[in-house]
Amino acid sequence: MFSYTTRSAIGVGKRLRVPVPVRSLSSPSLPNAPSPEPATTTQAGPAPALATGSPDAEQPSEPRVKEWSQRLRALGEDTRLPRSVQAIYSRPLRRKAEYGLPVCDLQLRSYSVQNVEFFADFAIRAAYYLNLPASGPVPLPRIVERWTVPRSNFVHKKSQENFERITLRRLIQIKDGNPQAVQAWLAFLRKHAFYGVGMKANVWEHDSLDVAKSMDASLPEVEKTLRPHLEQFGQRHDNSADRSIFDVLDSDRFAERKNL
Amino acid sequence: MSKAASMFRSKKLDLSGFVNTRLIRDHNKRNAFEQMEPERQALRYMIRNTTLPQRVRAQAQLQLSQMHVYTRPTQIKNRCVASGTARSVFRDFRLNRFQFRMQALAGELPGVKKASW
Repeated sequence: MFSYTTRSAIGVGKRLRVPVPVRSLSSPSLPNAPSPEPATTTQAGPAPALATGSPDAEQPSEPRVKEWSQRLRALGEDTRLPRSVQAIYSRPLRRKAEYGLPVCDLQLRSYSVQNVEFFADFAIRAAYYLNLPASGPVPLPRIVERWTVPRSNFVHKKSQENFERITLRRLIQIKDGNPQAVQAWLAFLRKHAFYGVGMKANVWEHDSLDVAKSMDASLPEVEKTLRPHLEQFGQRHDNSADRSIFDVLDSDRFAERKNL
Repeated sequence: MSKAASMFRSKKLDLSGFVNTRLIRDHNKRNAFEQMEPERQALRYMIRNTTLPQRVRAQAQLQLSQMHVYTRPTQIKNRCVASGTARSVFRDFRLNRFQFRMQALAGELPGVKKASW
């Protein structure tokens, strides 16, 4: 039954293919020559089929493509999908957290359930392949905003209408992952951001107990990078003159921002 | 300093979308306030600072009161971006209640739908 319907569908497609060259011939592709005769000479392929017009001329002797049932059976028996594609049909795989130390909190927000659920699933799968133990998605409380507006003028206050906007939230927590891998995960999610889904991430970095020593060691470098910024601070020489505050307010430097 | 409001008007129209005389005026007021805010704050600080001489504080008071009206923050009023109305404008959407209702019913505000509970 199934194969019969598909075959009939293919037949419809074949019949539909006939009017296409007709339209291309009638369309004025050559503005100087509106007559169809030069066009038929140039397009040798479809023109004879059009000229004969009989359906038995179009039927090929041997079908180049196998029947759908055969193709599907071959797909089921001879081959299998890649494991990563098969995994899409089952629940997302997860790494196990060794220490359970939270590293990153990702909050997804959307107005629609499908979008946020889909993207949370995507994020968890991406975390698995980046070797990050992820927990969640935890459904956080919904944010409901409601507005009541009169339907028409001030006089008709009795007739009002309510509107609402419900924000759905999902929380995904990454535990004891490598900071670079977490950054890569976040960048990947941002690259493949889904429409209508907002993201917010809190990232925590952990350091050893000797953090003070390492900070001391990195101090000269930090000072070097800060020097150009710190040089901007302090009082200008031309500002230290004995002037009243009103002169300062009227000065060109102060009036720069006004650009009037 | 001339007291004309035209000094805060830009030479070219710097607004897009729905444009109204009152919308442009409000926009000019916002610009004026933004430009003159440091000066206002300096003068306000001088007026309140009791360690300054009385003469300076009185002068500052005079200067502050002589500044243009448009530089006052109280002149700024939220207006509907779609119709220019000044009444019942929602901060979330910057829309008037009527415009909000029309756009919400048309589905132009993401996530907003009719509520019933």
